Amino acid sequence: MKRLTTITVLLVSCIFCFSFSSIGQDAREISKNSADIIALSSMEMVTTLKIYDPKGNMRTRKVSIASKRFGEVTKMIMRFIDPADVRGTAMLVYDYEGKSDDMWIYMPALKKSRRIVSNEKGKNFMGSEFTNADMSKPNLDDFNYKLLSTETISGKSCFKIEATPKTKELEGDNGFSKKISYIDKGNYLCYKIEFYDMGGKLSKTQSISDYKPVSGGKFFYYLMEMKNEQTGRKSVITTDAFQAGSNLSESQFSPANLEK
Amino acid sequence: MEKKIGIIRYRWIIIIATVILAAASIIPLISIKVNPDLESYLPDKMESKVNNDKIGEIFGTYEPVILIFETDDILNSSTLERLEKLSNEFGKMSEFASVISLYTTRDIRSEDGTMVVDPVVKTLPQTPEEREALREEIKKNDLAYKLLVSEDFKYALLLLNSNKTIKDKELIDLIYKKLDEFPGNEKVYLNGQPYLRSEANDKISRDIMILLPIGLILMLLFFWISFRELKGVFLPFTIVLISIVASMSLIPLFGWELSIIGIIIPVMMLAIANNYGVHFIARYQELNALDPNITMNEIVTEASTYLRKPVILCGLTTIVGVLGLIMSVLLPATQMGVVSSIGIALALILSLTFIPAILSVMKKGKVHFDIEGEKRGKIVHILDHAGRFVTDNPGKMIILFFAFFALSLAGLFNFRVASDFNDILPQKHPYNKSINITNKAFGGSKMINIMFDGDIKDPAILTKMSKNEEELEKMPGVGSVTSIATIIRKMSTALNDPSDPGYNRIPQTREGVAQYIELYSMNGDPAAFENLVDFDYTKAIMTIQCNYEKLGEAKLIIDKIKALTKGDPGTVIGGYALVEKEMSESVVTGQYYSLIFAFLAIVILLSIIFKSFIAGLLGAIPLLYAVFCIFGLMGWLGIELNIITALLSSISIGLGVDFTIHVFWRVRSELSLGVGYPAAFQTAIRTTGRGITINALSVMLGFSVLFLSAFPLIKSFALLIILSLLFCLVSALMLIPAICIIFKPKFLNKNNNL
Repeated sequence: MKRLTTITVLLVSCIFCFSFSSIGQDAREISKNSADIIALSSMEMVTTLKIYDPKGNMRTRKVSIASKRFGEVTKMIMRFIDPADVRGTAMLVYDYEGKSDDMWIYMPALKKSRRIVSNEKGKNFMGSEFTNADMSKPNLDDFNYKLLSTETISGKSCFKIEATPKTKELEGDNGFSKKISYIDKGNYLCYKIEFYDMGGKLSKTQSISDYKPVSGGKFFYYLMEMKNEQTGRKSVITTDAFQAGSNLSESQFSPANLEK
Repeated sequence: MEKKIGIIRYRWIIIIATVILAAASIIPLISIKVNPDLESYLPDKMESKVNNDKIGEIFGTYEPVILIFETDDILNSSTLERLEKLSNEFGKMSEFASVISLYTTRDIRSEDGTMVVDPVVKTLPQTPEEREALREEIKKNDLAYKLLVSEDFKYALLLLNSNKTIKDKELIDLIYKKLDEFPGNEKVYLNGQPYLRSEANDKISRDIMILLPIGLILMLLFFWISFRELKGVFLPFTIVLISIVASMSLIPLFGWELSIIGIIIPVMMLAIANNYGVHFIARYQELNALDPNITMNEIVTEASTYLRKPVILCGLTTIVGVLGLIMSVLLPATQMGVVSSIGIALALILSLTFIPAILSVMKKGKVHFDIEGEKRGKIVHILDHAGRFVTDNPGKMIILFFAFFALSLAGLFNFRVASDFNDILPQKHPYNKSINITNKAFGGSKMINIMFDGDIKDPAILTKMSKNEEELEKMPGVGSVTSIATIIRKMSTALNDPSDPGYNRIPQTREGVAQYIELYSMNGDPAAFENLVDFDYTKAIMTIQCNYEKLGEAKLIIDKIKALTKGDPGTVIGGYALVEKEMSESVVTGQYYSLIFAFLAIVILLSIIFKSFIAGLLGAIPLLYAVFCIFGLMGWLGIELNIITALLSSISIGLGVDFTIHVFWRVRSELSLGVGYPAAFQTAIRTTGRGITINALSVMLGFSVLFLSAFPLIKSFALLIILSLLFCLVSALMLIPAICIIFKPKFLNKNNNL
C-alpha cells in the first residue's frame, strides 16, 4: 500500500513538473518546434488535392512534388499527373530568403515554358482553400505568439497558441488577422489551426492528421483539410507517397528541364 | 305616419356596422409593409425571372452596389490610398461576397517573354513620372481601363457584390459609415438596386405621411367651401376616411405589400370616394331650402330614392374602368385595381346607407342652399357661352376637336416606353447622377447575362463565346462584354509573343484551354473565378454591360443575343436589364389589355343603361379622345409610358365616363319634354354641366396632391390624370353635344324611363 502511494506521489509530481515546464515554455519556441518537426525543405511526394464546393461537388488534382534546398534557395518542382487534360503541366518555383519567388510554368499545349512574375501575395494554392503559405514553413519572425491555454484535441493534450502578424502589411500578406494553433504537448505536432479574418471572425479551420514519422525524427502529415467556415468550401490534401530528401540534381530543377 | 324606407328603419344597425367596419380596418393596417422592389412583384413564371433564378442557382444571387468616386485625377495618391483602404475594408465585411476595384483586379501582360501578373496598382505613385507611368499601364489594361477607371481618369468605380444578408437601408448605412471612416475629397455616388430600393422605400413612407394629411385638409376645405355646414363637411369626409382605411387595409389582408404604386391608392380614394356622398349632401341642402317644413326623414327618403340610380350607375362605371387594371401583368397595378374597386364600392354603399342613416338621426341644419345661385356664377356663365357655341356651330366644334386631336396624335411619334426604372427618383438625385456617369464613363449600368451550357473547356464553345463578344461589342447600347473567353484570350497575350499563332486567341485544343484555366485558377481567388465559370466547367457566364436608353435598343440587343445563341441548347439569357425590359413590355401589354377591357366594359354598360349600342359607342368617344390625346401629349412632353403612367387610362376611363352619363341623362329628360336637340343640349350643358364640372374639379383637386410627391413619375401622373379628366369633361360637354346635334341619335329621344 505504501509502495502504491509512493508511485502515485511520483507520478503526480512528474505530471506537475511536466506541466510546469510546458507552461514555462515560450509560445514562440513551441511554434518553432512545431514547424521544425515537419520535414518540408527537401522531399519528394505524390499528393492528391480534392477541392469541394459548398454543394459538395468535387474537383481532383494529382501532382508530384519535389523540393530541395540549394544554398539559400529552396527549389520546388510540381507536375500534374491528373486529370488528363492538364497532365504534364509543370511549375518550377525558386523560393529565396530575402526576395520574391521566381516562377516558371510549362504547359504541354504551348510546348514551351514561360517565366511568371506574380506580385500577388497570400494567394490560394491551386485554386483551393489552402494558401501558398499553408504549404510552406512559416516565417517565425513575422508573428507575435501567445500561449492561451491547454486544450485536448482528439484525446491529446495540446498547447493553444495564438499567432498574430506583427504588421498590417503582414496581415494583408498572410490573409488573416490571427491564427490559433493546437500543438501536441508531447511531440509538437499541430492538429488544428483556426484562422480569423480581418474582421476578427473565424474564417477557416485547418485539420492536420495521419502524421507519419520520416527520417531524422521528423514527421509528415498524410491528411490535411481546410474548411472555409464562411463559404462552406473545403479542400483536402492526401499524401499518396512521401520520401524525405530528394535525389534530384540541381539541373533537374531548371526551367529547361520543365519541358522534358 | 310617414312611410319609412329600409335605411331609416335599420339606421342604427347601419351606423354600428359602419363603425365596426372602420375600427376593424385599422387592425390590419398596422401590419402594412412597404416593398419598393418592383422585381419582386413580377410573376414567377416570367421568362427573365425564371432565367435569373436558373443563373442564380449556379452563380449565386448577388446584387451589385456601385460606388463611383469623382475627382480631378483618380491617380493622385490620396484618392488611390482611399480606394485601397476602402477596398480592403469592404473586402473584410461579411455582407459582401466580393469587391471589384483597382486593388482587386489584375494586370496580366507579357513583358520580355515573361508572363507578368500584377495588381493594377502595385505601389502608390510618389512622383508625377510614376503617376504617368501608372496611367499608361492602366490604359493598356482592358480589365481595368474604362471598366474601373474612366477614360479621362476623373472617375473610379468600386463594385460591391452584396450577398443580400441584411436589409437595404442597413447595407447602405454601412457603406456610408465606411466612407466616413475613410474620408477624402472625392465625391462618391452610389447606384445599384439595394440603393434604389432604400431611397424609394424612404420616399414611399414620406409620401404617404405627407400627401394624405395634406389631401385630407384640402378635402375638408373643399367641403366647407361647397356646403358651409358641418354635416356637409364631416359626412363625406368620414366616407373618404373609411374608404381609404378599408382599401389600404386590404393590402396586408390579401398578403400584399405597398409598392410605389400604392401611394396613389389613398389619394385616388380621396379624389373619388367623396363623389357620391357629396351628391347626397347637395340634395339634402337643396330639399331643405326648397321646403322649410320638410322633415329630416322625408329629406332622407326623397334624396335616397332620387339619387340611388344615377349614383349607382356612376359608381359602377368607375369601378369597371378601374377594374381594367387587373388585366395588368404587374401585381401592383392589379392590386390597385382590386383594392380601389372595393374601396369605391364601399364608398358608394356607405354614401347610400351610412350618410342617410346618420342624417336621419340628426336635426335639420340651417338653410345653406341658394336656389338662385345655381343660375349664377362664373362656371355657369362660361358653360352658357360654350353651350350656345356648340349648338350654333356643331360642325366647327367637331373640326376644332379633330384639329386638336390630330395635333396631339402627332406627339405619338415621340411616344416612348421607359426602358428602366431609374426615373423613379428625380433626375437630380445622386442615384441618377451615378447612373449617368456609369453609362457615359464606364460600360453601363444595365447588365445582361448569358449562361452557356456545355464543356466550357471545348475550344469550339469558347471561340463561339469570343466571337459573340466581338459581335455584341459592336452593337449600339453595349458598353463592354466579359466572360471566361475574355480572360483566356487575355492570358494568351501574356503566354505567347505577338508573333506566335496562339497570341490573342483561344487555344486550339481542349488540353490547351484546360491548362490556361488551371493556370488562371492557380493564381486567383477561387470565389472570383467562380463568377465566370461553374465548379465543374459545364456552365460559363457572359456579362454584357449596357448603356442604352431606349427600349428599342434593348430589344435589338436581346434579339441579337438570341440570334447568336440560336441552336445552342441550354443557353440562358438573364440579368436585371432583361427583367426591366420584360417589365416595360408587360407595361405595354397590360396597357393594351386594360384599355380594351375598360372600353368594352364601358360600351357594354352604357349600351345596357341606355338600351342602345349607339349610346355605348358614343359614350366611349370622350374616353377614346382623352386617352389618345394624353398618349400624344406624353410624346410632346417627353413623358414615358411606365408602371405609373400606364395606370392613367383605366382610371380616367372609369372617372370620365360619368360625365357623359350625366349629360345623356339630362338630355333625355329634356328631349322628353319635347324640346329639340340643340335646346336640350344647351340646357344640359348649363345645368348638369355645372354639377359635373364641380365634380371634375374636386377629383382634379384630389389628384393634384400628387404634385407634392417625392417621385417625378407620380408628379407626371398627377399632371396627366388631371389633363385626362379635363379632356373627358370638355369632350363630354362639347364634342358629344356637337355630334349628337348633327346625328340626332334615337336612343336619347325615347320616352322611356330609366
